[in-house]
Formats: sequence, C-alpha cells, structure tokens
Amino acid sequence: MSATTWSWLVLALPLAGSMVIAFGRAAMPGRVPGWIGTASIALAFACSIGALLALLDHPTDERQLTDSLYSYADAGGLEIQLGILVDPLAVYMCLVVTGISTLIHLYSLAYMDSDRGYARFFSYLNFFVFSMLLLVLAGNFVLLIVGWAFVGFASYALISFWYRRETATKAGMKAFVINVVGDIGLVFAAFFVFRELGTFDFLESFDAARDTFTVNEGVVIAICLLICVGAFAKSAQVPFHTWLPDAMEGPTPVSALIHAATMVTAGVYLIARMWPFFELGPTAADIAAFVGLATLLIAATIALAVTDLKRIIAYSTMSQIGYMIMGVAIGAYVGGLFMLLAHAFFKALLFMAAGSVIAAMANNQNIDRMSGFRRAMPFTSALLLIGCLALAAFPGTSGFFSKDEILAFAADRGGMYWIFAIGGYIGAVLTAFYAFRIGFRVVTGPPCEEAKELEQGHIHHAEPTNPATGEPEDAEVGFPGAEHHIAEREWPMKVAMAALGFGALFIGLLQVPGVDHVLSTFLAGTFEESPLFHIEPTVGDSWLGLAVGGSISVIGVLGAYVCYVRRPGVTVRLAERYRRLHAFLFNKWYFDELIDALVYRPTVATGRFANSVFERYVVDGIVAGATGLVKGAGSVVRGAQSGLVRGYALLLVGGFAALGIYFLVVAN
Amino acid sequence: MLNVLLWTPLAAGLIALAVPRTASRWVAALGALVTLVVAIALVADFDPAATGLQQVVDESWIPDLGVRYQLGVDGISVFLVLMTAALWFAVTLWSALRNEPGDGRAKLYYFLVGLAGTAALGAFTAQDLLLFVLFFDLMLIPFFFLIGTFGGLNRVAATTKMIVFTLVGSLLMLVGAIATAVLASDISGELTFSIPALQQTLLSDGNQAWIFCFFAAAFLVKMPAFPIHGWMPDAYRAAPLPVLILLSAVLSKVGAYGFLRVALPLFPDATIEFQEVIMVIALASVLYGSVMAFTQTNIRLIVGYSSIAQLGFITLGIFSLRVDGADGAVLQMVNHALVVAGIFIVIAIVYARTRTEDIREMGGQAMRAPVLAALFLVLALANLAMPGSANFIGEFYILNGVFQSKIALAFIASIGIALAAFYSLRMYQRVMHNRLPAGAESREIGLRDGLVLAPLVAAIVALALYPGLILDRGETSVTEKVSAVQAADDEQEGLIARR
Repeated sequence: MSATTWSWLVLALPLAGSMVIAFGRAAMPGRVPGWIGTASIALAFACSIGALLALLDHPTDERQLTDSLYSYADAGGLEIQLGILVDPLAVYMCLVVTGISTLIHLYSLAYMDSDRGYARFFSYLNFFVFSMLLLVLAGNFVLLIVGWAFVGFASYALISFWYRRETATKAGMKAFVINVVGDIGLVFAAFFVFRELGTFDFLESFDAARDTFTVNEGVVIAICLLICVGAFAKSAQVPFHTWLPDAMEGPTPVSALIHAATMVTAGVYLIARMWPFFELGPTAADIAAFVGLATLLIAATIALAVTDLKRIIAYSTMSQIGYMIMGVAIGAYVGGLFMLLAHAFFKALLFMAAGSVIAAMANNQNIDRMSGFRRAMPFTSALLLIGCLALAAFPGTSGFFSKDEILAFAADRGGMYWIFAIGGYIGAVLTAFYAFRIGFRVVTGPPCEEAKELEQGHIHHAEPTNPATGEPEDAEVGFPGAEHHIAEREWPMKVAMAALGFGALFIGLLQVPGVDHVLSTFLAGTFEESPLFHIEPTVGDSWLGLAVGGSISVIGVLGAYVCYVRRPGVTVRLAERYRRLHAFLFNKWYFDELIDALVYRPTVATGRFANSVFERYVVDGIVAGATGLVKGAGSVVRGAQSGLVRGYALLLVGGFAALGIYFLVVAN
Repeated sequence: MLNVLLWTPLAAGLIALAVPRTASRWVAALGALVTLVVAIALVADFDPAATGLQQVVDESWIPDLGVRYQLGVDGISVFLVLMTAALWFAVTLWSALRNEPGDGRAKLYYFLVGLAGTAALGAFTAQDLLLFVLFFDLMLIPFFFLIGTFGGLNRVAATTKMIVFTLVGSLLMLVGAIATAVLASDISGELTFSIPALQQTLLSDGNQAWIFCFFAAAFLVKMPAFPIHGWMPDAYRAAPLPVLILLSAVLSKVGAYGFLRVALPLFPDATIEFQEVIMVIALASVLYGSVMAFTQTNIRLIVGYSSIAQLGFITLGIFSLRVDGADGAVLQMVNHALVVAGIFIVIAIVYARTRTEDIREMGGQAMRAPVLAALFLVLALANLAMPGSANFIGEFYILNGVFQSKIALAFIASIGIALAAFYSLRMYQRVMHNRLPAGAESREIGLRDGLVLAPLVAAIVALALYPGLILDRGETSVTEKVSAVQAADDEQEGLIARR
C-alpha cells in the first residue's frame, strides 16, 4: 500500500473509534469502550508505521506525496480539496501523536474506570486524536484550519468533561474562545496566501512563494505573523496562554494528551510546516523566537511559585513549548521537533504519575500537602523521578540531548541569536529547580497522612470537593468516582507509565552529536531545500554545549535538593521576604486580570450600554413617531387587530397618494 | 412544476379550513410534504451549467400595465426554494405532531401558515418585479395574524411595531418598482415589469440611486439590519416558536435575496455607488448583533441578535461584488436557516422542561438528555461557523470576498466571529451544562420533536461534508449578477477615461 493510503487509514481509525463508541455506548458493558478506543489508536499507530515504511521506499527527494478524497468546495476561483500531504514531517508527527496517545488511552482505561462518563470520555479522546491527525496530515490551509478548530473543540469538550463543575465549563470556554482567535489568524493568513499566490495548497503555495516574494516583503511578514497568532493560541504562548493552566480542570489523562501528544505541539508543527514562509520573512521568525523565549522564562518563573501540582506541570509545558517555538523559529527544525518527541514522553509520564498521586491524595492537588510517597507508591515515585530528570534535562536523558540541540544551534548562528542560547540556559536552571521541587516534595520527606494510609493498604477517601473552589462535588457526574485508581494496582496504568519512562530516558539516543542522526536524516525529505536546515554545529561545539547544559541541570537539581530536602523552609522564608514578587508570580503575572480588563469587560459594557440606552432611545426612537400614528388609528376603532388593518390601509392609501403626487410632478 | 410548488401550500391551507378540526393539521402537513417533494425534484432537475432561468412560467397577467405572471429559478433561488419548502414542512409537521394550537383556532393557524408558505415561495420564484413586490408584501399579512393571534406576551405591541417597520419598507419598494417600470418605459417605449426585460434598459444613474435606496430600505428592514431592527426584539419575544422559525429562517433571507435578484441586476451603477454604505451598515450589524447577543440572557434574543450578525455577514458577501463572496452568501443563507430552525426547536423542548427562556435559570440538561445535548451541540457549533461545518465554508467564502475587495472591513468583521464563538457556546453551556436548577426537570428528547429535529441536524451534517453541492449550483447565476455590476463599473471607468 502507498504511504497516502496508510495515512487515510491513520485518519479513519480514530474517527471510526469515536463514532462507534458514541453511537454504540448503550450496548457496551464495562471497559469495552475503553478497549475499543485504545485499540483504534493502537491500530492507527501501526498504520503510521506502515506509512513510514512506505515512505522510506521512496528516494529522499521524492518523499512529499499528496492525495485528495474529493473536491470539497470549488467555486468562484477558490479550489478546496479534501487533500492530505504525506511527507516525513507529517509521518513523524503521526508517529508521535498516535504512539503517545495509545499509551495515554491505555492509562485512561484504568484511571477513568469508575467515572460515569466512561464511554463519552473515550469517544471524545478518540476524536481529539483524530483532529490532531487531521491537522498534521492536512494538505492545504482550509483543511488545516478544520483540523486546527477540531482540536480546539475537542479540548473544549474534554476540559469541561465534568460539566457540572462551573469551573470546568468556564475553563473549557476560555480554551475554546482563545483558540478561535487563533483560527481567525490562520484564516486571514490563508486569505493573504490566496490573494498573493492564488492557491490554498501547501506545496503549490510554497513553490509560488519562492518565485513571488522577496525576503522580508511586507506581505510575507503579515502571513507569518498571522500564522503565529494561530500557533501561539494553540501552543499557549504569551499572551494567548491563559487557557492552558485552567485546562487542568479536565481529567488528568486529558492533561497528558493536551500537553504531550496533541494540541500544544500543533504550533511547533505549524511553524515547522510553514518554514518556506518564515525563511522568506526572517523578521517575523525572529519575533516568534522572542515570543518563545519570553514564554519560556515567564512560565518558568510562575512554575516556581504556584502550589497546584498539575498547574506546575502545566507551566512547565508552556515553558518547554517556548523552547520548541524558539527552536523552529530560528531554524533549528530538527532540534524543535526532537524536543517535541522527548517532551511528549516525559510530559505524559509526569501527568500520569501526578494523576496517580492525586488519586492517592483523594483529589487534593496542593503540593504543599504532599510528602513522602516513596514507600506508599514505589513504582509511581520512581517514574515520577524519571520524568523530573528528563524535564530537568539531566545528563543522559532525552530532555538533555533535545534541548541542547536547539541551544547549540542558536549559539552556532551567532550574533543576535546568542540571546536565545543564553536565555535558554537561564530557563534551564529554573526548569531543573522546579522539576525537582515537584520530585522532592512528593517523594521525599516524612509521609503525609494520605501516604501513611496507603502504606497500610487503604486509599484515603475524603469527601470529594472541587480543588479550585472547595465546594462539594456532584457525585452523580462520576467525579471523582467511587474509587480511586493508582498505578500500583492497575496493570494498564503501569504498562503505559513504564513505556513512557523508558522513552523519557532513552529516546534521546536517536540523535546524539557525532554518534547518530536518525531524525535529521529522516526529516531531510521535508526541509532539504532550507538553507537553515543545513547549518550544523560541529561535534565539538555540540559536546561543549552538552557539557554546559548538563552542569546547569545538575546545579538546578542541587539547588532544589538544598531547598526542599536539606533545609526545608528556605523557600517559605524567601517568599515572605520578597512578598510582592512572590504574589506577582503566584498570580501568574496578572495576565488573566489584564485580559479581563482589556477585552472581556469592555465588550460586556458595550453590550449593556447598547441594551439600556441605544436600543431603548435610538433604535426605538426611529419609529416612535410612526408607532404613535398607528396607535392613534388603532384607538379610534376598538380591538387591536382591526386597528392594525386600518392602519395598514391608511398607510397604503397614503403611499399611493404620494406616488401619484410624484408622478404628477414628474409629468410636469 | 413551479405552479404546483407555489400553490400547493395555499391549497392545502384552504382545504385545512374546510375539513374538520382534527384533520386540518394533517392536511396541512401533507400539503407541505408535497411541496417539499416538488422542491426536491426541482433541485434534481436543475442544470448547474446553464445560464439564466430554468423552469420558466411566463403568462400575461395585466397586459395594460405590463405585469406578467413570470416565475423561474436559477442557481441562487433553487436552494432557497428547497430550504423554504423543507422548513415549511418541518414547521407544519412539528406543529401537527405537537397538536398546536389545540383549540378551535387550529384551522385558521394552518391556513395562515399555508398562505405564508405560498407567499414566501412566490417571493423566491417571481421574475416579474411587481409580482415579487406583491408576494413580498403578502408574506406580512399571515405573519401579522399568526403573531397577533397565537403569540405570547405583548403580542399586540409587537405586531404593531413590526407592521410599522415593514410596511414603510414595503411601500417604498412598491414606489420603487413602479418608478423603475415607468422610467424604463420612457427609454424603451414599452411598459414592462419583467426583471429580465428591465435588465436590458437600465435607468440613468440618478434614478437608479434613489430607487436603489427605496429597495435597500425594504430589504434591510426585513433582514433586519442595524439600526432598523427595532421590530425584532419584540416580535421574537412574542411570536410562537414555529412561526418564529419561519420568520427568522426564511423571511429574513428574502431581504438578502432581494439584493441579488433585484438590486444588483437592475441598479448596477447605484450598487457600486452605495457599495461602501451598505457594507458599513452590514459591518455595523455584524458587530452590533454580536455584542448584543454576547450580553442577552433571553435565549430567543440571543438567536435574534446573532441572526442580525449573520445576515450582516451575508450582506457583506453580496456587496463584496465578487463571485466568491456572493456565492458564499447564498450558501450561508441556507446554512443559517437550517441552524436557527434547529435552535428554536431546541428552545421549545427546553422550555417545556424548565418553563423559562432566561439562560440564567437553565442548566444541567445534558445529564439526563445526552441525545438532545448532542443535537444542540451540533447546532451551536454550526452557528458559530466552526471550521468543518458548511457555515464555515460560507463564512470563509464571504470573508475572502470581502478581504479581496475591502481588506479592512474583513479584519473588523472577524471580531464578529470571535464573539460568535463566545455567545453560541455560552448559550449551549448555560442550557446543557452546570447543575440543574431546582424546580426544573430534565428529560430526553421525545419522538415527536426528534422526528423533526434529527433530520434538520442530519441536513446540517450532510452539508458540512459537501458544501460544494450549493456552491457549484450557485456559481453560474452569481457570476451573472456580479459580472453585470462589474460591466457597469467598467463602462463608468471607460466614460471617465474618455473624458
């Protein structure tokens, strides 16, 4: 089978799974929906491998295949095909998405077991994966936008999955609306492309762009910046990031999916996919890189202060995505995509471990209350530490090799690009520190009450409350379920976490400077014509970078060790000493408040004003006189209807009279 | 075929008056079904490649005045006719299944609905200017009585307001129509109201300008557009929901359709002259409607103001004076009609359970009614023009047209899209999610409502999979209308160049 046929199957299987579960859920007992969901994604992964093998049969410069199902809309000069583009980048993304998603599905199979919405959950989850695959396989702007928006919708559905919590429905709405802003950016980018190049097709527009545009022409910069709006909204870059921490309202496997395999990585993919435009508009690319740098630093500082376990991990995602955006924007395509892969493994793992811990804590997510789980949950603790090591880019782990690939590239480009390398290293210290803020808090120290209970064989079971508001949970909605599920007792959760842990440790070996370069060889099929793709730091420089990065990581971990293990309490004193700074970080730099004041409130105020003043006095006023006329006529004859008819007749006669007078005037 | 299509609803309405009360609703439903079947046959029979009108009926009617009984369809009207017939059947069937109104006035109700159906189909098929105006005005009469007799709170005030607004528009249009024919006869020497014939003898720029304004006023009131939408809130609050479906889904489209059928071909120079004015009005409608929908709490008014915004988009598309924009507008007319019809049915269903139309007092329906929630979700997403829906393709075409002709307007209009995402989803959430308020019940959708709602949602999904169905058939006719305007534009530029 050809690579395109395999790719259609990759798309069809998750969609079919979603539909089968949605329509057949009444007839499905127990964990059947979960197994169907997991199996369909696993099969999609197998088909992705099929596509990979089929693609490898082609010579490197013929690995961009297109195929179309039918002409979706074709009128007025706009030709829109339901078409896919299968190239190394797309297949790479398919492998990451389906591979990680399979493990997340497997984990959810057990984790969500006691939830009342079990079948609904898997139907959404499969749809989410389908949307992401549509996004990465789309062969033109319109289909890209469709996949892009479907991802936004799926995230909405899953974030507000426990829809009886008001915090969850609000968070879902926030994610959706911010994502729509991103969609609009992409729509206008597509309009510019169509106006200048006359096509929506990716490959055609890339070719035409090289012939049409000059470097840094205004239009190209506009296109790139509009693409960036889409990318930033989806990838939670400043200032479109506020939805991501709130997205923690969804069940924990959803967080894993959003942060690791789908959704937030879409922006990274998009900039990499659009490299021909970004290389024609280097100014826009630099702006994107600066946004990535700002995001990675801002998010890292917030992650130092917030206390909610899942939110710390969420800010770490924002920060790590900042690295990737910076990477692909400065031209380190392989570095950015390599980090995407490594991050997918360790971030999914971190969320899964966190989910297990939170279940053991009876849904309390406050990191200050957690302590000493190493004996109660040895498996979870071990894998949590592996995840933290990879996040901290500890020497040898996947995070180590991938992060350095980007920073070494930035240093190698030199000049202004040193800023990105240095900023990246500063971020790396913070990352290592907050990574082990999580690790040491949860694993070490004296066991907390819940950990002690678990050591005796029971899982702590408090009255379920909403961690955000403290109000009692609506038990009927299924949250948090009658029982908690932890990795120690469920083999599917264990298998999924073990596989991710293995990847978090060893996937970095795919691309070790001077040893092997699996990824850059494979991705050459997409980026071959890019001059930036061929910039490669020397092996010596790379290893020098690795040495610097490794020492920085160790310093960060040691710092966390001192603060949280050797001398606990240092951080509390620091927070009190610098109360203002702490409040600033703890309140997430007040971005929510800023957007509220600048966007939401003015809109509501305008609406209120329009409603109370404009509608009443102006809109009604236009006709107030005429209404009075009819009412006067109506009052002569009792009964409203006859009055109406009479008024009608009156005006009709008046109209004809006016007409007659006009023609008399004209005739003279 | 068009004669059968046109007069069946009225005939069924008349029979409904004659038969016993229990039978009248089924007679009306059967009549609507026949109309729908004929409309489907009409679409199946339609040749997308042919230019000009198809299925033409052309009889002399009032020879002294040059008025002809002239009917026909083209790519613009053929799907509007199908949409009208489909929604008329849906509404009649829905009313019949729910046995509304259950009292002695049922005969009158079904007669009026049938009369309105004939009038609406007449407006979409008439090719004689006076015939168009007559059908356009005829639509009002049954709606006055439907709202005035069967409506809810403040129905009298609401109908009064609606009369005043629409009547002024109608009279202006009547004057405009007569003036067009009379002035054209001065040039050609022959008095005729036939639109294709009038297209051959265009009026002078000055005359085109004022007559265009008269027509535009009538069309904009009908849609309604900002700031002449004053009748909308009261009428939406008072109208019975089945009637409101027809009002919001079908009647509003007659206004937009009128621009394509009458204004562009007959007054091309004025169209160019007023292009920016109309576009600014449309843009104001988009923004104003969106902001208002953003803050309303009455669910009917959320839909009402969102319709103002949607009709604003449609008008923007038409007045982009590009094929893509206008073709997208035609598609969007059908999309919007299907979506609002579905939403109003959901509102009726939810009202039966919660006894309120205020979204602040609703919530939590999804728990016991997942199917209803899923159907409503599709409607809400289509309403916000979610990519993947046909509404998105419609809006994409419209915005592309606007973008290529007036780039700044397209950017401003996009604010409306972001706001639509918010208010549509807010509407869905407030009804379906969060917790069920005390005193409200929650129950799955019943068979009677499902029988009407499910096919509507299925049609929306089908169009989402293949919007090309409508775009392809609209393209040729839309190109004719747009190129007529462009030709006038070129001619003007030629004149200026020669001077």
